[in-house]
Amino acid sequence: MIEHKEKIGSKTGMWLFILSEILLFGGLFILYSVYRFKHPLSFHLAAGELNRPLGTLNTIFLITSSLTMAVSISSFKNGKGKSSLVFLAATLLLGFTFLAIKYFEWVEKIYHEIYPNSPRLLERDKGEVLFYGLYYSMTGLHALHVLVGLVVLLIMGVLMVKGKVNEVDFIPLENSGLYWHLVDIIWIFLFPLFYLIR
Amino acid sequence: MANEGSSSPISEKIYFLVWLELLLLTGATVSIAGMNLGRWGICIALLIAGIKSGLVLSYFMHLKYEKQLRLFKWMVPGVLVLLILFIGLTFFDVVLR
Repeated sequence: MIEHKEKIGSKTGMWLFILSEILLFGGLFILYSVYRFKHPLSFHLAAGELNRPLGTLNTIFLITSSLTMAVSISSFKNGKGKSSLVFLAATLLLGFTFLAIKYFEWVEKIYHEIYPNSPRLLERDKGEVLFYGLYYSMTGLHALHVLVGLVVLLIMGVLMVKGKVNEVDFIPLENSGLYWHLVDIIWIFLFPLFYLIR
Repeated sequence: MANEGSSSPISEKIYFLVWLELLLLTGATVSIAGMNLGRWGICIALLIAGIKSGLVLSYFMHLKYEKQLRLFKWMVPGVLVLLILFIGLTFFDVVLR
């Protein structure tokens, strides 16, 4: 009975953390909406320079990684440890691919001398400077979350192999899954706001 | 025993269907963005993003099936309403200044 309550407590804590994360990104969304309202044309122009096909591809990768995560957890609960590990590995691979694509997108922009405070960018309209400032900080913060998620999932994989996460105590795995889905949800909002406005 | 407590099991078929819906919605939002609907474009994009996150929250994150954490079913929309309120109030200031 006590153990049962601990599980509820652990999950409640995870949900509270998720809500606080939503508010963290929410603050940035408020900034975005105000600046976009003030500089509609520059946002329109600057967003047109982002690579929409790569952004779409990344959305598909992250959504698919959410699927493999959910399937990994349900297989684990059903006692199919091996297939659970395979799906966890797929999640890691998809998450890593997401980061790799994001890396190339950033490198391409930086190669064209568009990064916060770059002379090339400062020559442009103020709205475009703000757009790229928000682009780098919001996608950067999100990429940091993906990176943390990957490390957490990797640790979960090791714990599963070692048997520390097992059919009786799978709450850490479930909570890591919740975190991974949160990262997916944040991207679901970032994608249209940065890539799909023209 | 394994499923006791936390949440009722969801079949993998449902996960797969939710994934398909998410992909279809992504396709829809990308193709609608290509139409240049102007001001309506952003409304539709946000609406689709809202539906997508609702799907992830209800099915992948099990909120729909959660029996003990019933409070969170209300807290997630609560936080979203709070955010919309913040954005609304901010615009009240920005527009009328």
